[in-house]
Amino acid sequence: MASQHSTQEQLLEAIMDRMIPAVGDLPSAGQMGLFDEIVRLAAKQKRFENLFHSAMAAFESNIPDFLTSSESVQDENLKTFELNNPEHFNTIRTIVYIVYYKDSRVHKRIGWDGNPPQPQGYEMDPWDESVLVNARKREPFWRKV
Amino acid sequence: MTSNHGSKDMTVDVLIIGAGASGAAAAASLSEAGFKVKCLEQGFWQDPSKYASASADYDFEMLTNWSVDPNKRQLDEDYPINIDNSPVTPVMFNGVGGSTILWTAHTPRFHPSDFRVKTLDGVADDWPLTYEDIEDYYDRNDEVMGCSGINGDPANPPRKPRQMPPLPIGSDGMRLINAFEKLDWHWWPSDNYINSEPYGEGRDACNFCGHVHMGCFKRAKASTDLTYWPRALNNGAVIETGARVRRVTTNSSGTATGADYVDAKGVERHQPARSVVMAANGIGTARLLLLSKSDSHPDGLANSSGLVGKNLMFHPFAMITGVFPEKMNTWQGPLSNFAMSQEFYETDKSRGFVRGYTYQFQRSLGPGWVANGGFTNAIPWGDNHHEELEKRLGSMMAIAVIGDDLPELHNSVDLDPDLTDSDGIPAPRITYTLSQNSRDLLDHGIKNATKVFETAGATNIYVDPLMRQSGWHLMGTARMGEDSSNSVVDKWGQAHDVDNLFIIDGSVFVTGAAVNPTPTIQALALRTADYIITNRNDLRG
Ligand SMILES: Cc1cc2nc3c(=O)[nH]c(=O)nc-3n(C[C@H](O)[C@H](O)[C@H](O)COP(=O)(O)OP(=O)(O)OC[C@H]3O[C@@H](n4cnc5c(N)ncnc54)[C@H](O)[C@@H]3O)c2cc1C
Ligand code: SF4
Repeated sequence: MASQHSTQEQLLEAIMDRMIPAVGDLPSAGQMGLFDEIVRLAAKQKRFENLFHSAMAAFESNIPDFLTSSESVQDENLKTFELNNPEHFNTIRTIVYIVYYKDSRVHKRIGWDGNPPQPQGYEMDPWDESVLVNARKREPFWRKV
Repeated sequence: MTSNHGSKDMTVDVLIIGAGASGAAAAASLSEAGFKVKCLEQGFWQDPSKYASASADYDFEMLTNWSVDPNKRQLDEDYPINIDNSPVTPVMFNGVGGSTILWTAHTPRFHPSDFRVKTLDGVADDWPLTYEDIEDYYDRNDEVMGCSGINGDPANPPRKPRQMPPLPIGSDGMRLINAFEKLDWHWWPSDNYINSEPYGEGRDACNFCGHVHMGCFKRAKASTDLTYWPRALNNGAVIETGARVRRVTTNSSGTATGADYVDAKGVERHQPARSVVMAANGIGTARLLLLSKSDSHPDGLANSSGLVGKNLMFHPFAMITGVFPEKMNTWQGPLSNFAMSQEFYETDKSRGFVRGYTYQFQRSLGPGWVANGGFTNAIPWGDNHHEELEKRLGSMMAIAVIGDDLPELHNSVDLDPDLTDSDGIPAPRITYTLSQNSRDLLDHGIKNATKVFETAGATNIYVDPLMRQSGWHLMGTARMGEDSSNSVVDKWGQAHDVDNLFIIDGSVFVTGAAVNPTPTIQALALRTADYIITNRNDLRG
């Protein structure tokens, strides 16, 4: 189990490195220690967890030498997988993006206040009726019957 | 929450199936008039303080446990839906409050012309009632649900003042609105059943969290578990949750006698009733009627016309997304429907199609949602990833085209021969094809929305010509009419074939109009309840 886990971890991290490259002072996504969070999150729903494991299994069997390939070959492999296995690819990309963009280091870099939407919510300027000045000039045009 | 009303006689006057938008409205009205009301609901009560918008995992939850698509959510109380033959996926919620738990609460009314499409445009059928027949019920419903909005819209008939002022437009909203004004096209702040200020028992004002389609933590969005149900329960109505109805039962003369259901513990039960009101939505009701075959109703209950499950309408729905060069914090404010345009609502045959559409103005959400595409494709992986995220976050807005849907026999709900829910009950199967009229209408809407984004200065524009996950309006599968050979219920929602069976959800719609349906569904539910109260004393025990 432990070695299976680490193979999947290595493979996913390699995929993540190609999906989300290093930026600013952040390393590429595979180097950010996000694997455990991906596994935790995926396990929150059986359906998604199954999809995730099948997607990883499909990736592994389609591209057995991904880990040992050069970056440019890895990019080609990923493009081919995206084209031929869009649903599996989508599953992997979805969870990778979600986990990357819930990380506080990423929030700091993109200037995102990392709180969930509630309970704080956000602020907006109050409703201002003067925005209707032009719209109110129009005569009624609904169709009478 | 089970009760036998404290009496030995388990028979209720009115058994309502489904505790959503329509079931709740009817339950409150009928119980207030002294009818003994029980509702069977397959789902459960929700606790707003546990809604996923307050969890750090909200982006994941939105796609899984809180997905609007029951096939993705897969809770025990959901039922699967076969969508292999439909380009549109039906979405809904199953629980007390029904789909209003997840709805975006945009609440426009039908236009008077929507009830007269045959007379005016020579298509489909006229409704057996008029705008004026339900106007008071619209008002009554607004009062309970709480409407934010403002009078003076030139695209709609004048009406009573709303309960609250509109939700704020924001600088992002103004960007789109200015473009509409430059093009000399109509726009107006949307009516929403969202509190712009505190309204209703324990219901706060919206705090603009955006995630309106995941249940409202602030109780600012009106879902019927917060509006009608407390009233109904106070009047003595009862809901049994976790109660999944298998079939409506009938006696040898074909009269409805109650329903067989599986309770929360998996025990098979029967609930006797003097009348049955179907409120399981445009898919759930058709499914149940088809499941309720008997010797007196060999093709399904109330189906002598053969129209149960036919004429399914969703509203054709396209989404146009624009990215602006400026940051406008477009994640602030309810994701959907802060304003709308009905410039192209009424028929103009020179456009090459009949009927029309509404534009609904949409915002955006946070980085996880934006990265995964929002209303368009996911941002690319690889070298351009960061640059593209930077471009879109806080700068992306969308315009939805929601078109009138006209009934077509082949668009339908029937029973899947193989697929079942967790109680082994056959699941619904959807067959839906977009008509040429709908395609032409959407294309017209896409072309003009693109013009809006160009006028507003968007740098990138993306088009989803038919949004898959847009089957939120479920209509037409047990339509109303005067003629029993061409409709399932009469203008009061009473089944032509069974005089103690009523249908009050979107199934009864004759046509779809080009607006969200729920105020109309609830107005009709209240009207049916009034009909029962006034004319059906025989149903009281
Ligand atoms: C994401 C989303 C956004 C939406 N946005 C809007 C909007 O902005 N404006 C608008 O007007 N409308 C909107 N809608 C649609 C709106 O929610 C529905 O029109 C409305 O809730 C329909 O009311 P109803 O009573 O017919 O059915 P529902 O509210 O769907 O309730 C039906 C209930 O019946 C129960 N049921 C079904 N079968 C059984 C059974 N066999 N046994 C027991 N119980 C059963 C279900 O569990 C459910 O609770 C939206 C919907 C969704 C999902
Ligand atoms: S945006 Fe407003 S109405 Fe919508 S969920 Fe948030 S607080 Fe509730």
